Amino acid sequence: MTRLLRVTPSGAAGLAFAAFAFLAIPLLAGKLWLSVFTSTACFAMACSGVAFMYARLGMVSLTQVGLMGVGGWVMLRLNHAYALPFEINLIVAGLVTMVFGWLLALPALRLRGLYLALVTLMAAGGLEIIFATFQFPNGGEGFWGVKTGSAGAFRRPALAQSAEAYFRYTVALVTAGFLLIEFHRRLKPGRAWALIRRSEAAAMSAGVNVTLYKTWAFGIAGLLAGVSGAMLAGSLGLLDDATFRASESIMLFALAVVGGARYWLGVVIAATLYRILPALLNNWGVDADLSFVIFGAGLLHAVITAPDGIAGQLGDLLRRVVRRPSKDTPEDRPKDAPA
Amino acid sequence: MKLKTALSAAITLAGVTAGGQALAADPMCGANTGEAASGDPILVGGIHGNAAPGDFSAATDAAKAYFDCVNANGGINGRPIEYIIENDQWNPELAAQAAAKLVNDTDTVALVANGSFIEMAVNAGTYAEADIMVMASACAISECFESSNIVSTNQGPLPSNLGAVMYAREELGAENIACIGLNIPNNGIWSCEAAINYMEENGGTGSMALINPGAPDVNSALLEAVSSGADTILINQPAGLALAILKAAEEQDLRDAFNWIAPTPLYDLSIPDQVGEYWHGDVYVNAELAPFQVNGPDAQNWIAVMDAYARPEDPRDTFAQAGYLSAKFFTEMMLEMDPADVDDRAKVADAIRAIKGKTSDLMCGPYYVGDADFHMPNHAGYMVKIIEGGYEIVRDCYEYDSSYFDPHLKLEAEMGLQ
Repeated sequence: MTRLLRVTPSGAAGLAFAAFAFLAIPLLAGKLWLSVFTSTACFAMACSGVAFMYARLGMVSLTQVGLMGVGGWVMLRLNHAYALPFEINLIVAGLVTMVFGWLLALPALRLRGLYLALVTLMAAGGLEIIFATFQFPNGGEGFWGVKTGSAGAFRRPALAQSAEAYFRYTVALVTAGFLLIEFHRRLKPGRAWALIRRSEAAAMSAGVNVTLYKTWAFGIAGLLAGVSGAMLAGSLGLLDDATFRASESIMLFALAVVGGARYWLGVVIAATLYRILPALLNNWGVDADLSFVIFGAGLLHAVITAPDGIAGQLGDLLRRVVRRPSKDTPEDRPKDAPA
Repeated sequence: MKLKTALSAAITLAGVTAGGQALAADPMCGANTGEAASGDPILVGGIHGNAAPGDFSAATDAAKAYFDCVNANGGINGRPIEYIIENDQWNPELAAQAAAKLVNDTDTVALVANGSFIEMAVNAGTYAEADIMVMASACAISECFESSNIVSTNQGPLPSNLGAVMYAREELGAENIACIGLNIPNNGIWSCEAAINYMEENGGTGSMALINPGAPDVNSALLEAVSSGADTILINQPAGLALAILKAAEEQDLRDAFNWIAPTPLYDLSIPDQVGEYWHGDVYVNAELAPFQVNGPDAQNWIAVMDAYARPEDPRDTFAQAGYLSAKFFTEMMLEMDPADVDDRAKVADAIRAIKGKTSDLMCGPYYVGDADFHMPNHAGYMVKIIEGGYEIVRDCYEYDSSYFDPHLKLEAEMGLQ
């Protein structure tokens, strides 16, 4: 239990960052940036799922943004169909997407590496076509819930009617999502995933139920994607199929690698690059497509020099800075040592 | 649309001159004092959508030209208008961010000349909550016409489709139409359904073929329309996609097998050259605002403003006319207000709601706003035919016949406009 609740320096920094975001950003940011930060937080939650699958199991999932669309679809469908509270819709959206993640895991159970990535990419392509063909629910009748003309109203959570409160609500959920992953990492599933990452054969011989734990991982990633998609729907009141194209899933995964999939900071960096950088460019009057060039350069940088991403490099830098005063300061150095 | 060259401006000039009337030498704007405005600017916003699959910035371009002209001619009681334009890039998140910036983070008093397929659906609630009025100009979705705080100078696809279909039924003998729309519930489906309903109410029939705006496959949609058994094809698309459909139809030599009709996006002076000789005389287009050869005083002034203050490549099309008109009506309203109130968003919103009976030779009917949950002041237009070098008017101003307009006509009667 002690080990489960132990707060590492990185964890403490993460919690402090979440507290800062929760308390300070709504006071400091205007409505434009609050809107950008809310989107960023939603995608950070989705990115945490894809990053954790890659970092803990070595599995490349290229469906995460498509799964966000599933969560958003369920949220909009429930919102327009029933007068249930937002939280109930949110839970159902997360659970339905988790089941969707499990279904996606079935063909993936025997696959690794490139083949798994291709299967998940095809699933993302399928979702893209479904969203483009049937559109997102807007208050209509029938299974798809699409009506012609103006969309129905969206009900935000009772606790979070304003933009500021909704951002705080999102930050709280994102933090809970990160903690969910961290608790799993520290418990039996985390140990099983570590073994699976090294060798599935070794994991099986050690008695690990590989099928169960791979499916479990897909479920968690699906849950996080579903909740984040539902939160994005709540932020805008409607969704558009262009947000959930297969290419966006590839982009989110690539940015998780650039940011550093093993670290919470890496996920935050990925989401920042994904949503805040284009908004900054837009705000400066520069074409936001320039961000793709920057993403490409970042990916090359990560592949060539930073396998742990920007967050890994920042961590190394921080460790060097922290250690240097105690080991290498001139006062501590022997007088006959070379400078 | 954005790719229109300076050629379109040159053609416009030629067309206007050919109309036998002299060009307005100097643009007339606002107080028309000839003196540049100075002092604290009055903040006005505008949102357009410019990204694949279409550019809807013509209206904000024209409004910017008009406001620049106003600022060079005394502004609003000597104060300039600072016109801040944002691009939603057809993306709901960016649309919400644009409104957050213009409405929540900036003390804009109103938004003028908005043109988009996305932003009105995302932001209608934001506008109502902030009680800011939007005098839009290139509206394409239902929320634009069915919201309390948005009023548009253009008609949008529903009335323009109705006008085109009504003409085709009455003059071309159309009995079965195929509407090629975008697969967007509040745009393509909404407006195609209205056209089909009109046909069914009048003894005909209809169907729709939808195009995914994210990955437009015009050939598939065209084949679907052709196989529907229709005698008339309604190209309910932005200009770029409409041109692609006509090109695909030309490759299959389908011209003589159908009547070809379209709403207003195909009314643009660069279109007759782009469609080519094959289509001259065979494509009928509904024009939501006055065709260029009508060439009244406002039409001439619009061209003069565009020539003096817009970029040569800015489109001279219906949406540019609409942007000019929205900016003009807004400026006239601001000049009529108490100068002490022009920075007060609530008072400006009230003044916009009180607009009624504004007329222009660019519009068939009066422009008004009123205090209602829906706004569609412009519901009558022209029908033109694409010919070599331009358009020929085949039907002058006519009201569209549909029960959709019943609430609007009732409101107009209450406001004493009929």
